[in-house]
Amino acid sequence: MNRLILKYGYPITAVILLVFAWVVYRRIAVGSTILPLVVAAVVVWVIGAPAFIYLWPRLTVGGYKRAILKHGFGAGPIPVNSLYAVPGTFSPSTASGSLLATGTNDLLYIGGWIDLKDRPQVLHVPDMAGRYYSLQFIDPSTGANFAYVGKRTTGTQAGDYVLTGPGWKGSLPAGMARISAPTNSLLAIGRVIIENDDDVPAAYGLAKLIQLAPMQQP
Amino acid sequence: MTNVLAWVSGSGVVQGIIIGGTLAFLSAVVTMNVVGRTLTTTVNGWSSIRQCGQPGNGILVRAACAKALPAVNVFEEAAYWTSTTDASGQRLNSSHDYVLHFPAGQFPPNDAFWTLTATDMVGYMVNNPANRLGIGSRSTLAKNPDGSTDIHLQSKAPDRHAENWLPTPSGNFKLMLRAYLPGAAILDGSYQVPHVARTQ
Repeated sequence: MNRLILKYGYPITAVILLVFAWVVYRRIAVGSTILPLVVAAVVVWVIGAPAFIYLWPRLTVGGYKRAILKHGFGAGPIPVNSLYAVPGTFSPSTASGSLLATGTNDLLYIGGWIDLKDRPQVLHVPDMAGRYYSLQFIDPSTGANFAYVGKRTTGTQAGDYVLTGPGWKGSLPAGMARISAPTNSLLAIGRVIIENDDDVPAAYGLAKLIQLAPMQQP
Repeated sequence: MTNVLAWVSGSGVVQGIIIGGTLAFLSAVVTMNVVGRTLTTTVNGWSSIRQCGQPGNGILVRAACAKALPAVNVFEEAAYWTSTTDASGQRLNSSHDYVLHFPAGQFPPNDAFWTLTATDMVGYMVNNPANRLGIGSRSTLAKNPDGSTDIHLQSKAPDRHAENWLPTPSGNFKLMLRAYLPGAAILDGSYQVPHVARTQ
């Protein structure tokens, strides 16, 4: 559906605008007043355009949220506060591929939707032994990547990171670093490099070990 | 009450709201596209946006980014370039053959990997009989005698250096080049991706 809209966006837009022009023309032609229509259209337009722009990052991330929580990436819906590693590289023929079809097959992808309202979550990453990987945490209200865990930012050694929502107070379990999220809901996207075709099982084995668990009170 | 409903249905207010909402959507899309274009740097036909995904972006920038590159990495994590035109500014199309020529030692510098993919104009990968969807630092590429590398972008397998072949989807297509953990020369802007040359 998205694909069709993207592909035929211009003709679809032209048809819609023609229909509008015809509606307005008909009203004028039969002699009825056009003023209420014009006033309503202008008011909605002036308020609506900035609203769409303001909400666009949220709408986009909402698409990922629905994909994760309702459909998943081949193995059914992915529950809140769990990470799902896609077992293989993307293939254009898979039905669930539309989000992943824009990716690359040098990487295994990981996806999850996180909710910190009730309690912080602990992200565990295994020892990646120098292998490239990253976990990108996205604020749904702005689309900003407010934190990364991975080779660039934290290195490739094993570790545990506590994700906390805004305003959370408490003490962290020993030896864990804190990642303060600006919102209680967030999108996580992970990537683990596949060094070569024979490396897929090893990469997947590591990707599966990147997991979330509720924080236990220390 | 009935009078109010009759006036609402007859006056065109409902039609006005629908028209206004649609125009609001379209002008938001146009605005985001225009802002996206101002954020885009294009060198040798390769376009990239550096600001996306950064905390602290303004409302227009983050909307334009969400539209152009939803959920994209920050540039320090992964640099992305897209191209839809060849060196002479013509649309890339599968009826032509192209070469992307990297001089010796001039692959995109990185600390993870680089990869080149060809997609349809929307950005989706398309299957090909060779089952090859990307080419890059994980591929074994043949070198020219002077140490440079030619990547062949065409719909049919090339006569020589078939390992350097990236099949192109039919019709107009889009190239995407990614460098994960881009090197200093990419981050400071001194590295330039070579242009895509049409060979026939």
